Amino acid sequence: MEYIDNIPIYLQIKDMLYRKIISNEYELGSQLPSVRQLAVEVSANSNTVQKALKEMTDENVVIPQRGKGNFVTEDVTIVNKLKNHIVNEMFDATYDKLHSLKMNDNEIIDSFNNYVKQREDTND
Amino acid sequence: MTKILEINNLKYKKNSKTILTDINLSLDSGKIIGLLGENGAGKTTLMRLIAGVNVQPSGVITVDSKTKITEIKSSVSFSDNLNGFSGRTKIIDIVHFYENVYPDFSAEKYNEISSYLDLKENDRLSSLSTGTLGKLVIALALSRETKLYLLDEPLSGIDSMSRKKIISSIIRWKSDDSTIIISDHYVTEIASLLDEVVIVKDKTIYEVIEVEKIQEKYHLGVEEYYEKVYEGGLTNE
Repeated sequence: MEYIDNIPIYLQIKDMLYRKIISNEYELGSQLPSVRQLAVEVSANSNTVQKALKEMTDENVVIPQRGKGNFVTEDVTIVNKLKNHIVNEMFDATYDKLHSLKMNDNEIIDSFNNYVKQREDTND
Repeated sequence: MTKILEINNLKYKKNSKTILTDINLSLDSGKIIGLLGENGAGKTTLMRLIAGVNVQPSGVITVDSKTKITEIKSSVSFSDNLNGFSGRTKIIDIVHFYENVYPDFSAEKYNEISSYLDLKENDRLSSLSTGTLGKLVIALALSRETKLYLLDEPLSGIDSMSRKKIISSIIRWKSDDSTIIISDHYVTEIASLLDEVVIVKDKTIYEVIEVEKIQEKYHLGVEEYYEKVYEGGLTNE
């Protein structure tokens, strides 16, 4: 995993794991790899991975089971909320930039629809 | 958290020249710590003092609550550059030497690490590439089951594939309660491994700081921060 060097590693690991959960690479209710396996996978210290998992547990996305390890929540509303949050974060900057071009919401929606259409056409 | 290492008022001179002065350091166990400083800043000397290879004329070093040098020596695994062995020595002979000298050396652990790192027991030291030699040094150091590991520039001069393997074996085989101190003058590649860094500058310890603090408080990467310290661009609070 490539890291941005001035952002805490545990936040970057957390972000990466959240994306894997949202994209269903780690399915609802499934068991996550062990701390050590994750640490090797992302080339980070186990303490750092532990810290990322701790925050994910505090946010109810990860459920630790004593003696068994860590599991993804089975609650789809939590994952949807998480997805919503991450998608919003991606839109934030774009929306602000479009606004600064004096575009109103309808124009922004129209241009986004157009954009998606054009992308679909080029992917055909 | 328990302390793995405490150093109080350590001074070290060589041929009446001050190498290290006013060294005070206290480290919690379980972490991976980067020991950073320019070439010649005294990183290796500090490691040799902690490991009990060099004897300190003044000051106190406590490792895992031990202060006797013989006890410290046996509880610290210090990476050895293997210069003491002749080029004709086979890897297997070095492994046997380690088994004989260090009661905490685990042949089982060595077998796991060496097969992961692709070390061949019948290869002779002189035939090893720098990368393979670096892997052997790490495999030997990590195979001792102890509380404190001192790895002196384990990545220096080593090709990038071997560096990745070395880093990954450190992550794989570090037990949760052990502490690893890694020295380096080039930081970027090990930055994701480190909990804290100890910066050696002007013959003393300039600062001990958590990597997260560098990122959160100064919005810098470890390498940038360290360069700023050396350029004198940051004032120590």
